[in-house]
Amino acid sequence: LTHQTAFLDEGIASDPELVGGKAASLARMRSLGLRVPPAFVVTAEACRAYFKNGRLGTALRSEIERAISRLEQETERRFGGVERPLLVSVRSGAAVSMPGMMDTVLDLGMNRCVEAALECEGGGRFAAETHARFRELFRRIVLKRADAAFPDDPIEQLLLAVMAVFESSRSRRARAYRKHHGLPYDLATAVTVQAMVFGNLDGRSGTGVLFTRNPATGEAKPFGEFLAGAQGEDVVSGTRTPDPIERLAEALPDAYAELLAAGRMLEVAEKDVQDIEFTVERGTLWLLQSRSAKRSADAAIRIAVELANEGKIAREDAIRRVTSEHVRAVQRPRLRDETRSSALLLTRGDAASPGVGAGVAVEDCDETESRSAAGERVVLVRPTTSPQDLHGMIAAEAIVTELGGTTSHAAIVSRSLHKPCVVGCGDGTIAVLVGRSVTVDGSHGEVFDGSLPVETFQTDSHPWLAQLDEWTGGRLLHRLDE
Amino acid sequence: LVLEDPDFIVLHGLALRRRSDVEGLEQTTGLAREVIEQALDRARSANLVALARTHYLLTAEGDAALGLVYPKRFAGSRGDRRLAAAYERFESLNRDFKALITDWQVRPIGVAKLPNDHSDAEYDERVLRRLCTVHDRAEEILSVLSCSSPLVARHVDRLRAALERAESDEPEWVSGVRCDSYHAVWFELHEDLLRLLGKSREEDR
Repeated sequence: LTHQTAFLDEGIASDPELVGGKAASLARMRSLGLRVPPAFVVTAEACRAYFKNGRLGTALRSEIERAISRLEQETERRFGGVERPLLVSVRSGAAVSMPGMMDTVLDLGMNRCVEAALECEGGGRFAAETHARFRELFRRIVLKRADAAFPDDPIEQLLLAVMAVFESSRSRRARAYRKHHGLPYDLATAVTVQAMVFGNLDGRSGTGVLFTRNPATGEAKPFGEFLAGAQGEDVVSGTRTPDPIERLAEALPDAYAELLAAGRMLEVAEKDVQDIEFTVERGTLWLLQSRSAKRSADAAIRIAVELANEGKIAREDAIRRVTSEHVRAVQRPRLRDETRSSALLLTRGDAASPGVGAGVAVEDCDETESRSAAGERVVLVRPTTSPQDLHGMIAAEAIVTELGGTTSHAAIVSRSLHKPCVVGCGDGTIAVLVGRSVTVDGSHGEVFDGSLPVETFQTDSHPWLAQLDEWTGGRLLHRLDE
Repeated sequence: LVLEDPDFIVLHGLALRRRSDVEGLEQTTGLAREVIEQALDRARSANLVALARTHYLLTAEGDAALGLVYPKRFAGSRGDRRLAAAYERFESLNRDFKALITDWQVRPIGVAKLPNDHSDAEYDERVLRRLCTVHDRAEEILSVLSCSSPLVARHVDRLRAALERAESDEPEWVSGVRCDSYHAVWFELHEDLLRLLGKSREEDR
């Protein structure tokens, strides 16, 4: 028996090898009773058959058509319908996420008649925008050529998109990536076809992302963003700036409460902090994706400890989740707030590269290099930097510039070198600083007089790390000291 | 003073790199090692170039000499409106490029911006795709400019090589400082265009 297609509520949909990691995650969300837009998967097995035969088999074509009929029943909409049309998103999903795979096509199933039908639901502007967005994506991602004929038939659009996803897993980029990582050369990919929901339908719609805990600090308080009257790609493309998640709480308290409850449930089920993408359509919450959240080193430690304290994971798991890189990052020297507020601030600029460095301020790069080689700690201060200054930057404890912003040469190179850097402090900075002993706080964009005491890590300043160390019987920090 | 090739190319290449060993100049100019070494010897005896251990740099005299040569050598280009328009497009692309490099190095985590540790393949991939787009636009713009400076076509090849390394999962080839990374080559290219057209760097204005 082969499984060329699968619905999220079928048992096989939990197998990432067959349906891809993202679809398997959607299936888990659905099994928890969370509201996920209906979807089916054209499986990796279908992809392998496509590679073998060089075309989509007739059996698969009719299976896809049957799957669409079922999606129509579940959504009470019709694919290509002139009333309540069904639009779908088409995305790639391999067991391992890898670069070079096809981007997601949204709003597939659209043509002029469907646009007219959509106008009755959300108005002319909404319908026209949706149509334009689809044409742009489909042409760029699936057709790839400006002069290719544009298919009007929704099923034809869908089959072309499915083939484009399959082909993308054989792209030069995807193959190079697999080769580099020792993954199978001919790895197949699955395709997820999911009913569209619209965050741009009306004022009670919108899109956003929720972190179940703050990913920067680790604080056990939901954190996120919401953009009313928008689709996800409006946020990604940066055309509009989202509001804090509290905006959703004010505008649509029921959807917000439901979202937080879903977050709590997913955090327990996945045993980790979740990063959840969602859309609200006319007041109804839909979850689009949930995955383990990326987090800072501070957050990684605090979250691991608190999840263990809450009984969501075992202590051994908490210990395993904290890497020596996390511990090292937390132990990096910083200035205490009291130190900063009582020190003499000489100048301020843009915080371009984090960390604290102190030394005598020097303008000349050769001098920086020779004094540093002689064992002195030096801070390089330049109008701007260029590749000519690289040897000075390498020798310096920190870098300060008069001109330029967070994308300037000095900022970019300092970050590459992991050196604290403050840029754009203004004309006259060199005159003020050179010859003085200064402390540069690249995390806050400040330069202070004198060599300030930095806070090297103390267990009492980071209770979560101290807790973790205690659980390891002191081995965690001891190991790093060696 | 008249600077003939290859002396001009070597000095100009040194001006683009600002400070370079012979290997670096081979990368930038594409000239053979002996040719570069001979040109550097001549330039040193004319006091146009100084040697600091393994690295050469232009002296003030060398910089001034180049300053006199550029207007003559690039006179045709400087009056060309098509080139001026292409350069303006490059400057605008340069702003996108610098923002992209910053996104490569600094990743938003919630409201905080943290150093990108390259642990999120999807995030890196989005930035790399933007880099590919920038690269395609750059190639198009530079095809107009490549007739005007002897090194532009070479910069394009080097950018492409760096991009390929970056795409093969070698993140230091995007903005690293210890290789001819995309950012390092881009900086030389930008410097080349500035010198070609007699402009100054935005940051320095």
